[in-house]
Amino acid sequence: MSFWRAVLKALFSSPISTFGTVLLAFMIFIAVFGPSLSPYDPREVSGRPFSPPSAEHWLGTNDIGQDIFSEILWGTRVSLLIGLVAASTAIVFGTAVGVVSSLAGGWVDVVLMRITDIVLTIPFLPLAVVLAAFLGPSLWNTAAVIAVVIWARPARVVRSQSLSIRNLTYVEAATALGGRFNHILIRHVLPGVVPLALSQFILATSSSILTEASLSFLGLGDPIQKSWGTILFYAQARGAFLNGSWPWWVIPPGLLISITVLSFVLIGRALEDVLMPRLKAR
Amino acid sequence: MNWYLGRLGQYAIVLVAALTLNFFLPRAMPGNPLQFLAGEDVGLLSPEQIAQVQARYGLDKPLWQQYLRYLGSIFTGNWGFSYQAGLPVIETILTRLPWTLLLVGTSLLVASLFGVLFGAIASWYRGGSFDTSSLVGSILFDSLPTFWLGMMLIAIFAVELRWFPIFGAVTPWGPKSGWPYIWDILRHLVLPATTLTLATLSGTYLVMRYSMLDVLGQDYIRTARSKGVQERQVLLKHAVRNALLPVSTVIFLNLGFLVGGATVIETVFSYPGIGTLLFQAVINRDYPVLQGAFLVLTISVIVANIMSDATYPLLDPRVRKGAS
Repeated sequence: MSFWRAVLKALFSSPISTFGTVLLAFMIFIAVFGPSLSPYDPREVSGRPFSPPSAEHWLGTNDIGQDIFSEILWGTRVSLLIGLVAASTAIVFGTAVGVVSSLAGGWVDVVLMRITDIVLTIPFLPLAVVLAAFLGPSLWNTAAVIAVVIWARPARVVRSQSLSIRNLTYVEAATALGGRFNHILIRHVLPGVVPLALSQFILATSSSILTEASLSFLGLGDPIQKSWGTILFYAQARGAFLNGSWPWWVIPPGLLISITVLSFVLIGRALEDVLMPRLKAR
Repeated sequence: MNWYLGRLGQYAIVLVAALTLNFFLPRAMPGNPLQFLAGEDVGLLSPEQIAQVQARYGLDKPLWQQYLRYLGSIFTGNWGFSYQAGLPVIETILTRLPWTLLLVGTSLLVASLFGVLFGAIASWYRGGSFDTSSLVGSILFDSLPTFWLGMMLIAIFAVELRWFPIFGAVTPWGPKSGWPYIWDILRHLVLPATTLTLATLSGTYLVMRYSMLDVLGQDYIRTARSKGVQERQVLLKHAVRNALLPVSTVIFLNLGFLVGGATVIETVFSYPGIGTLLFQAVINRDYPVLQGAFLVLTISVIVANIMSDATYPLLDPRVRKGAS
């Protein structure tokens, strides 16, 4: 329980982390309630194409007359959902690989780390593009593809943390005294790894959201459930720069991506600062 | 020597992994692999034509033979045919590659120079206003989607101010030789290169800053100062030189990120490099081109890694001694 209290404390530990927490809370609020607050169904044609902002359409309409403000509110849910699903999948998998690799050692460690290195060397965005293009556009495919390209870094970080815990004198002693594998894992390794995995999760979410935006901007997003990146793809493809609609079509979705990513980065750093020194001291 | 062999072996494994992925993706997906290799209109082909395409890709042979043939394609350059353009994939890629190299090379150079400069200044005046503002700036810039940053630069500097062209690498039907041509290329390069530089600057900056802070805490800096060496000399001769070492590795390791950034930035600016090719292949569902572009980007990252490994001993005498 003290762990979660420490997390809560970290969220409000400084003006900067408080700022990040408030921003994130705001984005989560939009993700949850945005669809019920939005004035139109974003899939519905609700005005003339390319209308500038007005009382009916706060951010104007897109190329086929859909309300951009509603699209953005609905897009918040899509973008956040993909980011969170991709990051949690990647962290669970990466943590498992890291812990198993460090505890098993030997050839298991060699093989797992070789695979990790391969994933880290291949340029991740082109890899994600190829995978997404073959799988076809859907929310879950996008999340899966992102998880596949980002799990390797947390796996490395968790492995080195787990190794250093395993090599602590008292853990070595417990092992030497015949402590069972499960006991060592649950009693000693996991408590040291979970806080790290949590801060890695926050950072992975921010990079997942950015990756999702890039993939969708490259035309790999689901056209039915538009994310912020998909909205920007259509803005670029339908000439938002040529017809002058970029101030309300391009700026708002990009700002929301940036704000969301920033909030995760600020919280991630605060968590690292609060949780990691404790680990180092142990 | 052994270390180099180990590294090369590892890169070979990465290459084989990328090729293996490329080989199995069209074959593992539901439906006919022909559809991925020869296009959506495969249903319209006559049986003879289908047999012809199958023979071209060796689909009539056993899987392991196909696989070996595919692995060999890295040397033969037989990367299939674009079904959009009907041209060999390798040809399309080779005409695009120089533009990507120009964009990535310029950005790498500028981002490294400014990253090192900013990192050195920030750490030298640690806690000062430059240090604080550049740290905050790096966090902010890292939160921006790269392609959106490019879109904003287009909006401000190309659409509103009209200082630079909106898209492309050269003016269509513009000058094709001499200084006007070079000037035209540079004008088109400014905005995409600036975007890519801004997107990658903070990586180099942060590593340089931490590396310098580490060096500044070392005994030999204190020794140099107590000997009465001028501060300027301490900064340039002792601190910066030693701090550069880890930075050089990070610059090359960031190349994978840079290549990804180039992909979206080229798309934003319709810059005719590999990234735009990848994007067009996605839009046209031109799978052979898609896979070829992915392959060439992977190969270029591997080449950069090999270059990084090769230059490391030149920078660090300790490694040089150990290696010989």
